[in-house]
Amino acid sequence: MSTPSRVSPIAWLVAPAGLFFLLFFLVPFGVMALFSVLSGNPVQRPNVTLTGRHYDRMLGDSLYIESLWSTLKIGAVTTAAALLLGYPLAHWLARMRSRGGHALLLMAVIAPMLTGIVVRTFAWITILSDRGVINATLTGLGLLLAPLPLMYNELGTVIALVHIYVPFMVLTLAGVIGRIDERLEEAAMSLGASPMRAFLEVTLPLSLPGILAGSLLVFALAISAYVTPYLMGGQQVLTLPMLIYQQVAATFNLAFAGALGVVLLAVSLILIVAYNHVLGRVARREDLA
Amino acid sequence: MAARISRRGLLGAVGTATAFGVIGRPQVAQAQAATLKITTWGGKWGEVMKGEVLPAFEKEFKCKVEVDQAFPYLPKLQASAKNAPIYDVLHANSNEQWRAAVDGLVVEKITQNEVPNIKELYPYAVSDKIAGVTIFTSAIGLGYRTDKGLTPPKSWKDLADPKLAGQRGGYQIPVNSLGQSHLMLLGQLYGKGMTDLDAAYKALEQLKPIKLVDFTGQMEKMLLQAEVVMGVIHDSGIYRYEGQNQPIEFAAPAEGVLSLEQVLNVTPGSKVKELAYGYIDYMLRPDVQKKLAEAVWYSPASKSVKLDPKYDAKLYNTPEKVAQLIQIDWKWYNERKDEVDARVARILRG
Repeated sequence: MSTPSRVSPIAWLVAPAGLFFLLFFLVPFGVMALFSVLSGNPVQRPNVTLTGRHYDRMLGDSLYIESLWSTLKIGAVTTAAALLLGYPLAHWLARMRSRGGHALLLMAVIAPMLTGIVVRTFAWITILSDRGVINATLTGLGLLLAPLPLMYNELGTVIALVHIYVPFMVLTLAGVIGRIDERLEEAAMSLGASPMRAFLEVTLPLSLPGILAGSLLVFALAISAYVTPYLMGGQQVLTLPMLIYQQVAATFNLAFAGALGVVLLAVSLILIVAYNHVLGRVARREDLA
Repeated sequence: MAARISRRGLLGAVGTATAFGVIGRPQVAQAQAATLKITTWGGKWGEVMKGEVLPAFEKEFKCKVEVDQAFPYLPKLQASAKNAPIYDVLHANSNEQWRAAVDGLVVEKITQNEVPNIKELYPYAVSDKIAGVTIFTSAIGLGYRTDKGLTPPKSWKDLADPKLAGQRGGYQIPVNSLGQSHLMLLGQLYGKGMTDLDAAYKALEQLKPIKLVDFTGQMEKMLLQAEVVMGVIHDSGIYRYEGQNQPIEFAAPAEGVLSLEQVLNVTPGSKVKELAYGYIDYMLRPDVQKKLAEAVWYSPASKSVKLDPKYDAKLYNTPEKVAQLIQIDWKWYNERKDEVDARVARILRG
């Protein structure tokens, strides 16, 4: 006689998260994907048919391909800049001995996240715009005749995005770096390695999981950003989330918006898997070495 | 001597009062205690609506009003079933009302039978360019800084003055109806008419470099910060700063001003359609029109509104002034919107 199979207690603990993921990610994504292959809105029109025309339209018009490229480029540059700025900060935060200093630095990293993205973006507008703090000061001092093009372009968009998303990088990296045993670096240095070499050959490889997680997080947030590119990019920046918003909120073409969303997700997943794969190989090589 | 109240007399009095009530407001006689779901704007408009206008409506019509102020409304209406719409009354600008009408999400035509106060409206408010009933309009013209040595603009073409390069303001055309209206007007100014898109694209190219914003409130900020010294904007976006000593002014170009209509319409599947028509009729009452017009500097669509002198001097509330309003054929524009959006994106990015 077979004994009844028992459900693991871990499964019960994971079940709420799984249900949440199902209800608030898979189901909405499924609806979006379904809309993207329908000829109309099934809620309003009963006689909709399956069609691939929304994908044909996207792939057949260079505007959308250029927008996809622009989205990925802004995402990649933002991620790289956030990593370069965030790594030293995360290292400092992880290795700080003073509990008070650690708390203050942690608060400094988290504080911007307590303000909304729209407010932070408007703050950047007051700094980077043609009449903003930087240009007004330089023009007022007679150092400039015309304002520097600090916003209404990709530069302004990336600056604001990096500021908004760098805390995600720092917090992710600090957790990983904090778990690396400092004695490994000390051992490397006691064997003659310089501090820089000890960092490059010991700490940096061991923090690769944090770099991977932080980069994926920032990249995902940056390529899906809507408000900041809209406010900072002016006429020169057109990303896929902006086009998706236009289709939903102004053109009211949910099907085409769905197709753009599916393509953005598919391309992002491919890039993320490739990035994961490359970093994984690097980490394994370091392990063997 | 104390009056005696007989049962028959009481019933008769109640019956008479009820009959008068029904005759007075036939549409809402059966809609008492119902819930009316509407959309409306936020900001000062929303404050007056929620603080004064809607409570008075609820009290008089013995109903509850549920308000959605989270724009955009049309995607939410699209996502709800036609026979159980998320709204009973859709308040939107004319371009969106046309899209809703084409999709069958709002009724095709509203007449005086449903909304008696329609007879008091200027013709533009229910013209063939409107899907629904216009309750107010703003005039889209040119806003400019008065402290930058500019000659006040007299023509729309003044926006193309080379001296304004990089300091003129417009809108993200795909998402803003002021930008869309201005694009069509460019066709009329520089080409054969509103539908001459090739001329409009060429004229748009000449306006570069131009600073673009996605909503009108942001254009106000750009003008106030002198980030833009002249830009396309509606009159209420400038007049609302009256008395605050701000160096900005509104100019109505000689070619006419574009009409930015606030339009109400009813959803065909509404379960409280009579109450919905009653709401539109209520919004057209002279006292309600005056209150809202003077709160946000919108021109009332009703001819029977007497505004205070300072509003009367500036708003479009006489037949002569109303004749200057240029209305857009949104049905025509919406049919070409995708093509226009793609073309405009290329022009402005390149």
